Amino acid sequence: MATRFVGLPGSAEFPASNFPQITQANQRPVLAYDAATDETAYWTDIADQSLTGTLTLVVTYMMASATSGTVGLQAQIEAVSDGDSTDLDAGTSFDTVNNSASTTVPGTAGFIDQISITLTNKDSIAAGDYYRISVNRDADGSAITDSATGDLSLLAVELRDAA
Amino acid sequence: MAVLSNAIRLQLWRGLMRYWSARQEQVAGITKADLQAAVNAADDWADANAAAYNTALPATFRTNATASQKAVLLAMVILARYDPNLVRAIIGEVN
Repeated sequence: MATRFVGLPGSAEFPASNFPQITQANQRPVLAYDAATDETAYWTDIADQSLTGTLTLVVTYMMASATSGTVGLQAQIEAVSDGDSTDLDAGTSFDTVNNSASTTVPGTAGFIDQISITLTNKDSIAAGDYYRISVNRDADGSAITDSATGDLSLLAVELRDAA
Repeated sequence: MAVLSNAIRLQLWRGLMRYWSARQEQVAGITKADLQAAVNAADDWADANAAAYNTALPATFRTNATASQKAVLLAMVILARYDPNLVRAIIGEVN
């Protein structure tokens, strides 16, 4: 298993609305995902030349205040190859959502946890593709039970492949 | 006064979660549904006991103060008992 990308709060990009606020927790940059509204952040990269096999996104987070309940995250991939007809300045082309498990949060706010999301739907990403990773919290529980109160503080995302 | 609308109750629910998150204050052992039920219960209680609170106030204050002033008074007294720092943040340091 190899790390192919690491995304931090400072390198995140955001949609026009419903995005997590970038803030600090004890001077650590975090993306604060709301508990009531689904919010989304993106990271952009060029796919590694060694990219191979099943992709997994590992999200490192902590809760700002909650000590019980569960959270659910959703990840998507948008991959654009040389010569594709995707009009980047007119829209997005993310593949179908990949859901995490409904994951019990740490028993102490501020303790980290890591959620792995298998990217079954990965938009046929290939080496050299221009791609984006999208991560959102399913705060309204439309697809995954998300019962924990308060903000989910995202610390980092890591893209792993099967190498 | 009737109980708060569901929309206002939801605003309170969201706002409380954001408030505690911003303070990084642990909210132990409850879920979003538990907090929503607590907001509803607190509002129900306030509605059911509004008349009793009004009756408990001294007559001069009761007959002259506005409903808003009576509400602020009650909120400040309760906060002073359980979260005095928040009272200071609202009304300032009082010697």
